[in-house]
Amino acid sequence: MIAYIVRRLLLAIVTIWAISVLSFVIIQLPPGDFVDAYISRMSANGSAVSAEEAQSLRRLYGLDRPIYVQYAKWMGRVAEGNFGDSMEWQRPVTEVIGDRLWLTMVVSIAAIILTWGIALPIGIYSAVRQYSIGDYIFTFLGFLGIAIPNFLLALIIMYFSFKLFGTSIGGLFSAEYQLAPWSFAKLGDMLAHLPLPAFILAVAGTAQLIRIMRANLLDELRKPYVVTARAKGLTEMRVIMKYPVRAALNPFASSLAYLFPYVVSGSIIVSLVLSLPTVGPLLLTSLIAQDMFLAGTIVLMLGVMTVIGTFLSDLVLMWIDPRIRFQVDE
Amino acid sequence: MAISRSVLLASVAFAMLAAGSFFAGPVAAQNSELAKSELVGKIEGPQLVLDPAQMPKEFHEAPMLAELVKAGKLPPVKDRLPAEPLVIKPLNEIGKYGGTWRRGFTGTGDVENGNRINASDKLIFWDESGNKIVPSVAKSVDMSPDGKTFTIHLRKGMKWSDGAPFTADDFTFWFEDLYSNKDIVPTPIADMSVNGKPGRLVKVDETTVQFQFDDPYFLFYDMLAGDTLIGGGQSVRQSQTFTFGAYSPGHYLKQFLPKYSSEEEVNKRAKAEGFDNWVKMIHFKKDWSLNKELPTLGPWHMVNPINTPNWVLERNPYYYGVDTVGNQLPYIDRVTLTLAENTEVINLRAIAGEYDLQERHIDIGKLPVILENQKKGNYTVHLDLAINGADTILQINQSYKADPEVAKWLTNADFRRALSLGIDRDQLNETFWLGLATPGSAVPAESSPYNPGPEWRKKWSTLDIKKANEMLDAIGLAKKDGEGFRVRTDNGQRLRIQVQTVRAFLPWPNQLEMIAQQWKKIGIQADVKEVERTLAMTRVLNNEHHIMVWNNGGTELFYLFPRHAIPVDPTEAYMGPEFAQWYASNGKQGRKPDDPNLLKIFDLFRSAAGQQAEERYKTAQEIWKILVDQQYGIGTVGQSAALMGVRLVSNKLGNIASRVCIAQHCRVPGGSHPEQWYYKQ
Amino acid sequence: MRATSAISGIFARLAPWRGVAAAPSAEERIAFATQFQLTWWRFRKHRLAVWSGVIVALFYLVAIFADFIAYTDPHATDARRSYIPPQAIHIFDADGSVSPWVHGLKGKRDLKTFKIVYSVDPESKLYLRFFAEGYRYDLFGLIPTTTHLIGVADGNAEDGLYLLGTDLLGRDLWSRIAVATRISLFIGLAGVMVSLFLGVLLGGISGLYGGTIDTLIQRLIEVIRSIPTIPLWMGLAAALPNDWTTTQIYFAITVIISFIGWTDLARVVRGRFLALRGEDFVTAAELAGASRMRIIFRHMLPSFLSHIIAATSLALPAMIISETSLSFLGLGLRPPAISWGILLQDAQNIQTLGIAPWLLVSAVPVIVIILAFNFLGDGLRDAADPYG
Repeated sequence: MIAYIVRRLLLAIVTIWAISVLSFVIIQLPPGDFVDAYISRMSANGSAVSAEEAQSLRRLYGLDRPIYVQYAKWMGRVAEGNFGDSMEWQRPVTEVIGDRLWLTMVVSIAAIILTWGIALPIGIYSAVRQYSIGDYIFTFLGFLGIAIPNFLLALIIMYFSFKLFGTSIGGLFSAEYQLAPWSFAKLGDMLAHLPLPAFILAVAGTAQLIRIMRANLLDELRKPYVVTARAKGLTEMRVIMKYPVRAALNPFASSLAYLFPYVVSGSIIVSLVLSLPTVGPLLLTSLIAQDMFLAGTIVLMLGVMTVIGTFLSDLVLMWIDPRIRFQVDE
Repeated sequence: MAISRSVLLASVAFAMLAAGSFFAGPVAAQNSELAKSELVGKIEGPQLVLDPAQMPKEFHEAPMLAELVKAGKLPPVKDRLPAEPLVIKPLNEIGKYGGTWRRGFTGTGDVENGNRINASDKLIFWDESGNKIVPSVAKSVDMSPDGKTFTIHLRKGMKWSDGAPFTADDFTFWFEDLYSNKDIVPTPIADMSVNGKPGRLVKVDETTVQFQFDDPYFLFYDMLAGDTLIGGGQSVRQSQTFTFGAYSPGHYLKQFLPKYSSEEEVNKRAKAEGFDNWVKMIHFKKDWSLNKELPTLGPWHMVNPINTPNWVLERNPYYYGVDTVGNQLPYIDRVTLTLAENTEVINLRAIAGEYDLQERHIDIGKLPVILENQKKGNYTVHLDLAINGADTILQINQSYKADPEVAKWLTNADFRRALSLGIDRDQLNETFWLGLATPGSAVPAESSPYNPGPEWRKKWSTLDIKKANEMLDAIGLAKKDGEGFRVRTDNGQRLRIQVQTVRAFLPWPNQLEMIAQQWKKIGIQADVKEVERTLAMTRVLNNEHHIMVWNNGGTELFYLFPRHAIPVDPTEAYMGPEFAQWYASNGKQGRKPDDPNLLKIFDLFRSAAGQQAEERYKTAQEIWKILVDQQYGIGTVGQSAALMGVRLVSNKLGNIASRVCIAQHCRVPGGSHPEQWYYKQ
Repeated sequence: MRATSAISGIFARLAPWRGVAAAPSAEERIAFATQFQLTWWRFRKHRLAVWSGVIVALFYLVAIFADFIAYTDPHATDARRSYIPPQAIHIFDADGSVSPWVHGLKGKRDLKTFKIVYSVDPESKLYLRFFAEGYRYDLFGLIPTTTHLIGVADGNAEDGLYLLGTDLLGRDLWSRIAVATRISLFIGLAGVMVSLFLGVLLGGISGLYGGTIDTLIQRLIEVIRSIPTIPLWMGLAAALPNDWTTTQIYFAITVIISFIGWTDLARVVRGRFLALRGEDFVTAAELAGASRMRIIFRHMLPSFLSHIIAATSLALPAMIISETSLSFLGLGLRPPAISWGILLQDAQNIQTLGIAPWLLVSAVPVIVIILAFNFLGDGLRDAADPYG
C-alpha cells in the first residue's frame, strides 16, 4: 500500500508537468497573442493602438520570444512560487485568483452538497421502489433538470425576479456589502445570495447522479448476496445500506476525480449569466484574451486538482470495494 | 432570364404595395416623428464663462472637504483653485453638493468608461455641439499664423490632485523624461510630426509651453482638442501602458526613473514591489486606473482600482473648475462603477434602476423594455444621435489578392456599387435600429462641415434591385447557376463573397444575415463568417478578408480618426491592409495601389495636415465624394443612438442635458460636463 | 450462452415428444429465448421508455423531413414580420365547415413604446391546407420539390402563417425549429461514436490488464482532462480552411474534440472492469481456456452493457447541451447555420423575455429530446440488465 502511494505521488508530478506543457501550448494555439487580443479589444472600445505601441507591449510582456523560452521562464518562476502577473488585470496572478478562489469554493461546495443531498436519497428511493409513482415523478423532475440548459434557467429566473420583485439578482453580494470588510452581516448577505446559484448549478448534476445511483443500486439489489442477506433475516434497511449502497457508490468515487477541479473552477456559463465573481468566468476571459500566466496558472491549478481528485477517488474506490483493494495488492 | 426578372419585379412591386401601410407612413414621417418624440431632445450643454470680468470672487466647497480644511488636512479652497479657474455655468441651475453616481462597467478592458468621465483633463475640448473648440485644462491655446507654433497658456496656481503645482515643468517632464525615453516609448508617434519631421515641446515660462514644428501643421490644433494620442488627456493616454497626452506629474513619477537615481536602484525598488523591472513598474505607476497614488487633474480621482469588483472615484479637492457663484466643482462626491460580467447584466441592472446615469453598453434593441420600466426604475430615457454616417459599414478589401477572381470583382467599382444598390436599408433600419437611424451612405451628418452635400447621402445608396442586376450583368457576371446565383468567370462555379464579422457593439452577424438574404435577389452569394475578434484582426492584418464589417465612428472628424474611412492606419485597415502599410511607411513596405482613385485619396489626405480649417473641410469633402462614388466602404444606416446613444438618467439627477453629442471626440459622458450634475435630493 | 440456447432450442423442436404437446409455455419461451428477445420483452414492459423511443424516432423523422415540415424559408428575412406573436387558428369557417384559416396581419411601430403592434387585417383570410405549395427545397437533399406538410391555399405562407410567431428578423419560428432539428440531432453523432469507442476500449484495457498499462492510461486521462478545450476550440476554428462553412467547421471540431472526450466513460468502464475481474464467471472462463478477447467481449461486456448504454444515452443529450452552451459563449455554431443552440442564443436576452417570449419555445424540443433520450436510456439499461 505504501509503495502504491509513493508510486502515485511520483507519477503525479510527471503528470502535472505534462499538463503544464500541454496547456501552455494549447493556450497559445489560437492565432495572435495577448497583445493582439488587447488591440482588438481596444479598437472595439474606440481606442487606437499604433503598431509601435503594440511592439513595445510585446517586448514588455516577453511575447516576442519563442514559445519554449516563454515556457521555460514561466516554469522557472513557478518553481520559485512566483506565478507571474496577469497582463489583463495588471496584478499578480495569485492575487487575481485568490480574490475569487474561496468564493468559488463556497459556491461549488454548496452546489455539491445540495446535489448529493438530494440525489442520493432520491436515487436510493427510486431503485428500491422501482416503477412506482414516486420513482416516475422523481425521475421526471430530475431529468427535467438535466434537460433545461442551465444558463437559460439562470437568465429566466433573473428576469422574473426582476419583474416580480423589482430587484436584480446576480452577484454574491448586495451593493452595500461589496466593498465592506467582513462581518457577520456580510456573511449573512452572502448566504442570502447563495441559494439561487447553488440551486441552478445543482439542478443538472442532481439528475445525473439520481439515475446513476438508481442504475447501480438496481444492479446490486438483484445480486444473489442480497437475497441471501434477506433470507438470513437482516432488516430491509441493513440489507440495502450495508453492502449494495456501498457498491453502488463505485461511480461516485470515480466522479470524485472531476469534482475536485469543479470545486475550484465552478461553472463558467452560469457564473457568467449570474455575474458571480468565481474562477470560471476568469478562466474563460483569460483564455480568450490569451492572458498567458493567468490562464496557465488556472489550468495548472485545475490539473493539480484533477490529479489529487483522481488519486483520492482511487483510494476511495479501494476503500469501498474490497475486491479492488485485493487486486491492487497483488 | 427575362421571365424571372419580371416576376422579381412584380413581386417587389407587390411587396412594396403590401408594405405601403407599414412603410409609407413611418418612413416618410420618420424624421418628423422622431423629432416630435420626447426621447430626442435638442442638443444643449453648460456654457463656459470665459470673460475674466465675470469670474466669481468668493469660492465655496463641498462639506466633506470643508471638514478636512477645518481639521487642517487641506488648504482652504481659494488656495486649492487656480488663480483663473474654469467657470462653468450649470445647464439649468446651481447645484447641491453630495451623492454617489452609480454606474456599471465590464472589467479591466472597460477603462474607457472611466477615462471619459475624466475627459476634462484634456488641454482643450469641444463644446456641446461637438463643433467648436473651447478651453479645458489650458486657459487658451494660440496657433501662430504660419501654423508652426502652438502656445499653450496654463492656469496660474493650478494644482494636481495631491496639491502639488501643475506647471510647464510637467510638460517638459513628459516630453524629455517619458516620451523621449526609448525604454518607455520605443517609437515616436505620428501625431508629433508633420511631413516626417518631429516636433518639439519647449517651456516658455512657468505657465506657458509651446509645441514647435518645422512645417505648417494647422491640423495640430484639432488634434489637441480631439481624442488623439497627443490630445487625449492624461487619464486615457497614460493608462494601459500608453505614454502620451502631453503632460505628466513629474514630481511624483521622477522617483521611478533611473535618470533621477540609478537604474540599479529603480530596478531594486521594482523587484521589491513585485514588478519585473522599472519599466513595468512605471507603466503601472502612471496608470490612473490602477495606481491610486498617481496625481491627476480630472473631477474625480481613483480610490479603488479598476481590477476589482468596485472601481471607485472620489472628488478631486484641487479640481480647477467652479460654477458661476464660486462653488468648486464637482457637485457629486463619488462615482462607483460596479463590475458586471457581461453586457446583458448591465442592461438588466440599468432597467432595474440600479445605475444613476448609464449610456455605455446599453443595447438599443432593448429600447421597448427600457421604456416600459421607466417609472419602476425611476429613470428617464434620452436618445442621443451620432454624427457618423454608418453604424454598419461593409469595408471591401482593395488589396486582396489570394483569389484573383474574387480580387477582380472586389476591385471593380460597378460590382461594389451593385452590392450597395442591393441592400434594403429601410429593412435594416426597422429591424435593428427600430427605425431610429438614417439610411444612406457613410458620409457624416449633413450638419457636419465635412459633409460633401445632401445629394451624397443617397448616391449609390438606395435600393434599386433592377439597376444592380443590370450592372452585374454588364460587367461580365451575367451567367447564373441553377439557383440563380452568379457564377465565376474562371471556372463556372458559384461566386462566393466572404463577409467577415465579429459580435461586438452591434448584432452584426444578424444584420449580415439579412443583407445576405437581400443579395440573393441580385444573384450574389455572401458567406457570412462570424469569427472571434482576435482572429478577425489577424485575418485582416494578413490581408485575407474579402469584406470586413465594422462601424465608422470617428470619421466624423475626418482627420483625427480616419482609419474607418480610408486605409491609412496599418493596425486596422479593413479597406486595404497592404495599401495602409504602403502609405504609413512612405512606400517602404506594403504595396502601391493601382487604383487612381485610391492614390488621389492618399494625396489629398497627406496634403491636409498643412491646410487651414476651411481648406481642410473641402479636402475632406473631396475625399468623401470619391469614397461614396467608388463605394469602397458600403454604408448602410447611421446617425443613430445605437452606440452609447441610449441614455438612462435617474430622475434624481439635475443639470442633465436633453440631448448630447455622442461622436467619438465628444467623449460621452465627459462632453456633457458631469462635474456640474447634482443630486436633487 | 447464445449458441447453447439456440442449440437446445433446436433439440427441443427436434425431440419427438414435442410434436404432440401444446405450444411452449411462457417459462419455456423465456428459457429458450435469445438474449436479444429477452431484452426486447423487458424493454417493452417499461412504458415510458417505449414512448420515449417513439419520440426520439419522431424527432429523427422530423430531422430527415425538416424542410417538408417547415412552411416558410427559414432563412428569409423581412422587417415587416419582425416579432409577430403566435397567431390564433380558426378551425371553423364562416359557414360552419371544418376549414382552418388565419387572418393576415398588419404591423405598425408605436412611436411611444417602440414596439411593433400587429393588428388583424379583417379582410385578409388565408386557408390552411395540408400538402400545400411552399418554398423550393430538395427532399432528402436530392429531389427538388415545393410541397410542404402545411401551407396556405392561394398565397404565400410568409404573408399570413405564423404558427409559433417570428423572430427579430421576421423569420418563422416553426420553420426554423424544424430545420434546426436536423443539425442539432446529427452533428453530435459522429463525435459520440468516437468517444464511445475510445472510452470502452481504453477503459477496458485499463481495467482488465491493470499494472503499468492501467497507470499509463490513467495518467493520460488526467492530462487530457486538464486540457482547456476553449483555446483548443478557438485554435482549431482558426486552423481549419477559411472557406468551410460554419457547419463543416463545427462538425470537424466535434470529431476532434471527441478524441479527448472519452475520459468519463473510460473511468467508469475501468471501475467496473476492476470490480468484475474477480468475479467467478471470469475465473471460470479463464480456467476453461477462453482467450482474453473472448472473456472481455463475450463474458464481461454484457455485464455492464447497461452502463455503456446509460452513458451513451446521456452522451447524446450532453452533446446537444454542449452545442447550445458553446453557441452561448459564441464559440459553437454561428448564423447563418440553424440549430437549437443558435435559436436559443437569439432567445437569451432581455428583449426576448420582455417583448417576444414565444421565442423561448425553441427550448421545448431541446428539453423534450433530452428527456426522451434519458428515459429511453433508462429503459434500455433496465432491459439489458442480466439479472432482471
